[in-house]
Amino acid sequence: MSLDISALRAEFPLFGHYPDLVYLDNAATTQKPRAVLDAERAFYETSNANVHRGPHRLSIKATEAFEAARAKVARFINAERDDEIVFTRGTTEAINLVAYSWGAANLKPGDEVLVTALEHHANIVPWQLIARQTGATVRAIPVLADGSLDRTAFLSLLQPQVKLVAITHASNAIGTRLPVLELTAAAHVAGARVLIDGAQVIAHESVDVQALGADFYVFSGHKMYGPTGIGVLYAKAELLAGMPPWQGGGEMIDRVSFDGTTFAEPPARFEAGTPAIAQAVGLAAAIDWLNTHDRAGLRQHEAHLCALLDAGLRKIAGVKVIGNTADRAPLRSLVFEHAHPFDVAQFLDARDIAVRVGRHCAEPLLESLGVTGTLRVSFAAYNTVRDVERFLAALAETLDDLA
Amino acid sequence: MISPAFQHPFGSTIDRTALSARLDAANSWEAKNRLLVQLARELPGFSDTERNEEHRVSGCESTVWVMTYWHDGRLQVAADSDSRVIKGLLTLLLTAYHDQAPDAIRQFDLEGWLAKLGLTRFLSASRGNGLRAIARKIVAAASDK
Ligand SMILES: Cc1ncc(COP(=O)(O)O)c(C=O)c1O
Repeated sequence: MSLDISALRAEFPLFGHYPDLVYLDNAATTQKPRAVLDAERAFYETSNANVHRGPHRLSIKATEAFEAARAKVARFINAERDDEIVFTRGTTEAINLVAYSWGAANLKPGDEVLVTALEHHANIVPWQLIARQTGATVRAIPVLADGSLDRTAFLSLLQPQVKLVAITHASNAIGTRLPVLELTAAAHVAGARVLIDGAQVIAHESVDVQALGADFYVFSGHKMYGPTGIGVLYAKAELLAGMPPWQGGGEMIDRVSFDGTTFAEPPARFEAGTPAIAQAVGLAAAIDWLNTHDRAGLRQHEAHLCALLDAGLRKIAGVKVIGNTADRAPLRSLVFEHAHPFDVAQFLDARDIAVRVGRHCAEPLLESLGVTGTLRVSFAAYNTVRDVERFLAALAETLDDLA
Repeated sequence: MISPAFQHPFGSTIDRTALSARLDAANSWEAKNRLLVQLARELPGFSDTERNEEHRVSGCESTVWVMTYWHDGRLQVAADSDSRVIKGLLTLLLTAYHDQAPDAIRQFDLEGWLAKLGLTRFLSASRGNGLRAIARKIVAAASDK
């Protein structure tokens, strides 16, 4: 392979502190390259001021950095316009924003929001809350035993009363990538809007929101080598223009008076209060960092790690992979015939191997697949073949110990 | 009929001193994990009907079930988990709380004990069914008295 993964890994200071760590919990959050940490620090050291307010040069500099980050995000996902990018705290807040703004204004009794059974709770609960408020109903498109979406059920659920289809680009719990292009096209034909939760895809592949045709696309910075506390809502300009504010405060207003307040244009209308300025700058640095690497190559590298993992797992008795569609994000969800995932994770942790266990905030999915919890292995670009080998060896020994 | 799940040695034949000595001797994470799994074997499990919602302590990473009743002014505690490491940790709680009087239960410094044993990480690990949450449930039962 032409990629130098050990050089890439050396860009992540955390691994300098934990040279023996095998970090396989990347779907929860990724580590941060030095370039991101430096960018945040440099912002505070050389440009820090509040944005959109000061009549002084430092504030202008900070505002420029913040707005440049927005423009960078827009290019990164090929949005048509910069003002289609709203900064949020993360995926969760972005979905809540759409629910409480677009949903509150557009949903009425009898309307339906379709989600899939693969969703993270962040793409279920906000819809349930807004449905309760508006009288709309939330319905789930079921999954098949292999973890793929039941497309026949999708088409039959896609009735005229469906106003929104909210789907994940890839499942955080079992990795299934959904055919979002096709689902979006079908939803649009049926007259529904589409929200895509890109949290598990954004670090691993190039996303083009225009090609996807998404009305809303959301993701978190911290899952793509960027800082925590910053995330993105992309929404088509024509939709944002008609959406009411969902939080009030500074920055989001045009004029305030007790006779009636008027609101700013998007995206400011949706960014009440002081935003996460340094984090937006850090996110822009994460995008630059990704773009300096061969993204297709990184994707291939992660797929290669998955293939090695799959091959190794087949040689260990008593392991079952949950979800086995051909097209998956670089993660695997495992259950064991004779051991509890939590116990396995404890033994792995004692050997410096970090994985996640539980229901992965996707209770409906695990329930429909008939499992109470799994052990999830999730890769990022800096994982190595050695990481996979160490995981497999430790897993085999642990399962022996617990047999 | 009192459930056989209460017929365990923790808090009666195996006391805190004995358990502390065993845990102290386990001086790596790996050894502690192995010992916890070993301890779990010494704790009888609940029947399928006892593993019910009423006895369940909510958790995400693993499930814990707890039963209590009073006998001669002493709290009787039985506990079970689908995870063996957690079940091993439950033997510590049982050693601290089973067959004890309400005052002893309220006064026991669980956090201090676990810190001494180097097991603090389990207090809040596994959101909701960390040892702290389970202990709180047991202490609450004792406070009703
Ligand atoms: C698919 C998916 N959606 C939403 C979220 C929530 O993201 P955040 O916690 O960053 O808001 C996650 C993160 O776990 C996720 O994996």
